[in-house]
Amino acid sequence: MAQRSSPGAPALPRAGDMQRKRTRIAYLSLLPVLLILLLVKAYPILATIYRSFTNWDGLYKHDFVGLANYKEFFGTGLFMTLFKNNLVLLLSVPLQVIIGLIVAVLLYEQVPGWKAFRAIYYIPQIISLVILGYLFRSMFSLDGPVNKVLEALGFSSSVREWMGDGSTALPIMVGCITWYSIGWQTIVILGGMSGIDPSVFEAARLDGANFFQRTFKIVLPMITSVITYCVVMAVVWTFTSLFSLIYSMTGGGPGYETMTLDYMIYEKSFVTGSQLGMACTISVVLFIIVMLITAAEMKLSDIAEQKWG
Amino acid sequence: MKTSLSKHQRFWRTFGRVVIFLVLLILAISFLYPLYYMLINSLKSLGEYYVNPFGLPREQLQWQNFITMISQFKILKLFGNSFIISFFTVLGLVVFGTLASYSFAKVNFKGKNGVYLVILTTLFVPAQVTMIPMYISFAKVGLVDNFLGVVIAYWAMFLPETIMLMTANFKSIPNELLEAATIDGCDYIGRLRHVVMPMGWPAISLTIIFFFISSWNDLFTPMVLLKSMDKRTVMVALSSLIGRYTGDPPFQYAGLLMSAIPALAVYAVFQKSIVKGMSMGAIK
Amino acid sequence: MKLQMKKAIALLLAVVLMLGTLAALTGCAKKADSNKLTIWINGKDSYIGPSEQKLAQEDWYISQAIKRFEDANPGVTVELVVSADGETAHQTFKADAMAGTAPDLANLWTGQNIFSMEDVILDISSLIPAEDKANITGWDSVTSPATGAVLGYPTSDNQICFFIYNKQIIKDCGLDFDNNPPRTIEEFNAACQTILDKGYQPIASDESFPWFGCYIVGYWWVQQSGMDRILSDCKGETSFTDDPGLLSATEYYRSTMVNGYLNADAVTSADSWNKFCQGTVAMMPQVSSVVSDAETALGAENVGVMLPPDFAGAQITDKTIGGPGQCLVVSKDCKNPELAVKFLSFLNSKDEVMKFLQVQSKVPTRTDITAADLGLTEGSASAKLFTWADKTVYWVDNSLYTNIVGDFYNLLPLVLAGKMTPAEFAADLDSKVVK
Repeated sequence: MAQRSSPGAPALPRAGDMQRKRTRIAYLSLLPVLLILLLVKAYPILATIYRSFTNWDGLYKHDFVGLANYKEFFGTGLFMTLFKNNLVLLLSVPLQVIIGLIVAVLLYEQVPGWKAFRAIYYIPQIISLVILGYLFRSMFSLDGPVNKVLEALGFSSSVREWMGDGSTALPIMVGCITWYSIGWQTIVILGGMSGIDPSVFEAARLDGANFFQRTFKIVLPMITSVITYCVVMAVVWTFTSLFSLIYSMTGGGPGYETMTLDYMIYEKSFVTGSQLGMACTISVVLFIIVMLITAAEMKLSDIAEQKWG
Repeated sequence: MKTSLSKHQRFWRTFGRVVIFLVLLILAISFLYPLYYMLINSLKSLGEYYVNPFGLPREQLQWQNFITMISQFKILKLFGNSFIISFFTVLGLVVFGTLASYSFAKVNFKGKNGVYLVILTTLFVPAQVTMIPMYISFAKVGLVDNFLGVVIAYWAMFLPETIMLMTANFKSIPNELLEAATIDGCDYIGRLRHVVMPMGWPAISLTIIFFFISSWNDLFTPMVLLKSMDKRTVMVALSSLIGRYTGDPPFQYAGLLMSAIPALAVYAVFQKSIVKGMSMGAIK
Repeated sequence: MKLQMKKAIALLLAVVLMLGTLAALTGCAKKADSNKLTIWINGKDSYIGPSEQKLAQEDWYISQAIKRFEDANPGVTVELVVSADGETAHQTFKADAMAGTAPDLANLWTGQNIFSMEDVILDISSLIPAEDKANITGWDSVTSPATGAVLGYPTSDNQICFFIYNKQIIKDCGLDFDNNPPRTIEEFNAACQTILDKGYQPIASDESFPWFGCYIVGYWWVQQSGMDRILSDCKGETSFTDDPGLLSATEYYRSTMVNGYLNADAVTSADSWNKFCQGTVAMMPQVSSVVSDAETALGAENVGVMLPPDFAGAQITDKTIGGPGQCLVVSKDCKNPELAVKFLSFLNSKDEVMKFLQVQSKVPTRTDITAADLGLTEGSASAKLFTWADKTVYWVDNSLYTNIVGDFYNLLPLVLAGKMTPAEFAADLDSKVVK
């Protein structure tokens, strides 16, 4: 206890000791997280990988079938259909991040009404995706508001069953996801901007940097790690959490035209009951895809960070 | 300086501002629409809702839906359950997340990148499939039908994202401040308390907002893990109102609207500390 | 440094200890008690009706039935658990069964949904009183075709699929569905054409969700091919491609859209029920539980129901798709199966079913209850449904094998939209057969 008056640092122990101690403390502070993940996630993840090679029915039947599930999934072309849809939906990621960044800088610069906007923009995140999906679907239904407006403006030839074809339904979903995520992106980026010294910002403004220069040349390089977070989470979210939105907008249909990998996992594990082995297979495939994309993103952001210092 | 602008330039600048304001306003209205939709429908009778789901209520307003939510559906009791779960979820995320993220952001240690990546990868596995094995192991140790089980499941679900968010933000804490604190006699925990917590408060606020709301709104985990009627969360109870063939959407909307209030309140309180905006920002 | 380590370790220990005690505290609460039953009831479409949702839990029919059972059997307690979602309940039931913590009784879906769970559901055939077997219908929906095991009691809601129609529109078109409904496909087409010519939408349906196609096309299929043929198609002994019933049923389904009888946006619409309630649509394929909602919206005197028309030369006629879609099963973990079955028998007794029908308008699965017993107005839609209790052919979609039903649901809308031919559809189903 006598140490209290002369704690750690100034004694300057040898570098190797320091390093070892630092590592020990770091791992100690990571321990709760590692323990929780190990206890809760490790077994289910390993079990999922193992069962992707079985014909698991959710109960006791899990005979080893080798690569049969993988062959079926890739061989029937189902994978490409679903993956292609996932890729289209991924287009919302750059959209939401860029719009979020612009809105965040606008709010940071205190445009008129910024307080109200900041309070309102997050609201979609609080409302059930099922309701939002239903509203979008109604908006684009055959005699919904969008078609009515088109008709009134004289574009009767453009009136169509928007959700009835993947080529129109998927872009609408991209719009919906972007719309839904703007508020989330905005407040994350605002949070990141709190680390920026306002004098830097003010100086750039006085130097005559216009809005886009301020946004992309000043702000963006200073918050690359936060932007990386935004992009990674948006990608992960788009790949793994769109079920309820798709469910209420199209149900994955018509056919499989708007169905995604995670929706299929849901279908295989719940709707068609006993094909959990296949659901595990799709999960493993999804896992690998998201991991590769995330690794690429991180690499990119490392390069960006080095470039911008 | 403004005098150097010509009339012409000033016009375009004002025009630009008006356009930006209008775009932001239209977005804001679109974000408010779902709440409006839920409100108008929560005040309709079931019959009127089926006939007229998008118009304003024309018959007598059904405030009864809200009263019944409190008196019969006991929604306030359900709020209590949801609140306990969300509160402890967020508490754990903040404590464990801050500890871990400080290490990731500011301490150089062996194997850092490897551990970080392993933690992240747990994000990529969709919950639908891991739920069954997790459920079975939880059932064996008595974590089913137990708030703690749900809280632990949420910790495992949200910690990777929390750590990513906090680490990204903590990186911008100036090293000089930490060194200064060390020289002032702060130990590890002291630096966390006196430097990391206040400087990283925006990220901590974001964590509180995101995961209070995520856990408050989540359906799947509590639906699977909680059984007893007196332990159900508000979202689980509300979701049981609408079936494949039957249900009373106006009544459900009334409940959903009420259950949005705590989430909105948490957002309203914590959003203020995310960023103070430019003019007030120079506190450092 | 040492102090910091100590602090960190103390913090960790505290956390671990906290978690440990909490887990231990809650873990030992469970006690095996053979006089206690736990029952899972689906929150939707089951024992808790829409009107009951606005009542306190103790006022629900099911809570009161449990109380009556407890009063009649001193010492017995029944704990009610409401599963919010039926689909998830099946998975949770499986997981619970594997963990050894399954409830004694559970409310699951009939057909393939439970047949694929025979490992964890008790065969109660030897425990069912003979009287129940005689007076209750729908046993085939819970009897495994493979082993003959009876896996539960069908619940007393016989969902029947039919066309609900707006009497005013029909009358306006000079038709009389009440006394002279179209019974053949030709008559049905003619009626639709008349309605269409008069400027009304003949049929509205939301097909993005398994509905008209899934149910009534299923009827047209089974009435021509028979259930045995459908099951043999599923097994791969015969093929869907060579199944003329499937082809002609799906072809006719497509023609309803081509001819304009079915709403043009059937594949994506979400508002056909709103349109029916607004009174702009003549007919809609529906199930029994919505009749009361329609009567509220349009007035009871304006709502009629009729059976779907029949294909010429079909082996099954004058029937429709339906049957109990839900059942109550006893799990293999149940400590006291006799008591569990006694409770099921009690819940399905005439007395209880009568009480249940006061709360929800459903068609019972008991043969000894008449429309008059329930005081239904003669000629009303509800009374008519009642007389159809024996006219149901069990749900085709619930009979399809699990590896096939997914494509059946997902691809049928493509046939309707003309993006896939019936032959391609059949070939796809064939490709999903596991031999």
